[in-house]
Amino acid sequence: MVKLRARCLLVGDAAVGKSALSQMFHSDGTLFQKNYSMTTGVELQMKCVRIPDTNDSVELYIIDSAGRETFVEACEKMWGRPSLVCLVFDLTSEQSFTSCSHWMERVRAHSEGLHVPGVLVGNKSDLSARREVQASVAQEWAQSQGLEYFETSAKEMENCDAPLLSLARAFHSLYHERLEAIQNLQSPG
Amino acid sequence: MIDSALSPLGAKVVLAASSDENHPPESIIDGNPDTFWVSTGMFPQEFIIGFAEPTKIAAVTVDCYNVKHLKIEKNTSDNASHFEPVTEKEFEQTEGHLQSSAISLNGTSATHLRFIITSGYDHFVSVHRVSVES
Ligand SMILES: Nc1nc2c(ncn2[C@@H]2O[C@H](COP(=O)(O)OP(=O)(O)O)[C@@H](O)[C@H]2O)c(=O)[nH]1
Ligand SMILES: [Mg+2]
Repeated sequence: MVKLRARCLLVGDAAVGKSALSQMFHSDGTLFQKNYSMTTGVELQMKCVRIPDTNDSVELYIIDSAGRETFVEACEKMWGRPSLVCLVFDLTSEQSFTSCSHWMERVRAHSEGLHVPGVLVGNKSDLSARREVQASVAQEWAQSQGLEYFETSAKEMENCDAPLLSLARAFHSLYHERLEAIQNLQSPG
Repeated sequence: MIDSALSPLGAKVVLAASSDENHPPESIIDGNPDTFWVSTGMFPQEFIIGFAEPTKIAAVTVDCYNVKHLKIEKNTSDNASHFEPVTEKEFEQTEGHLQSSAISLNGTSATHLRFIITSGYDHFVSVHRVSVES
């Protein structure tokens, strides 16, 4: 039995649904934050994800940062070095998708050269009539960044657990890869 | 004298954050570099080694992997309650073999030593052996 711990950055433009999603993660889909309030700082939530078919679990410490420009610097101080990244955009906003590369640059700047597994989440899939970003385009960009792509609706509770499970699995397999490397090390004389 | 295996001498790991059943913290003091304790994500990571009685320590040798920065603190009372800084060490990154470093503690006396790994060269770090020269 292994219990892993990961610092997961939740990033993306303001109003794409980061806080709504993290509410969902936290409450297993029983609550949707309906009142919009501009996040002003950094919120931390812990969510424990079990890895199917094992006795292992990953505790995700999810750090929700405000997307608003004026707060970004203050937030970044709280980021620390991320283990994982969950990058969110709004499927009804081309602009929020364009910002994604900018967000990735920021996350990388905090990663000290380490590989940080992550997911790209297109949220608000319930607003299909207003969709501005095609799945194939998002998918392709995600792939180019080494991210796995998901579409969710925090409002309709659609698919919200999938990104989390993917993040937990990625960290879990990274752990086992590293463990194997450590086991193959040569010990000193 | 150099105690390679600390555990037969009454030393024990009294606390370690992090948790993989297959790699328990006792692996740090069993004197065997093939067994190890591994961190399970995020920094800082710490473990505390307690001695059966106050011990004067000339140096500690730490065999580990992917550790970047290590702080050592000591406690002189019976319960592990008050720690004060002793020294810090920046490790070089190694590839394919363990990091090994003898760290001088100048004969300082302690009942507990606390090892705090504040950063690493990877998401996970391992500690294979801590031996004490008293
Ligand atoms: N229709 C719809 N609205 C959503 C969804 N997720 C969030 N919202 C709404 O989008 C607005 C911004 O959400 P919020 O979580 O505060 O965004 P944040 O700034 O990224 O944290 C709020 O009014 C939410 O109710 C969704 O999946 N579908
Ligand atoms: Mg928010």
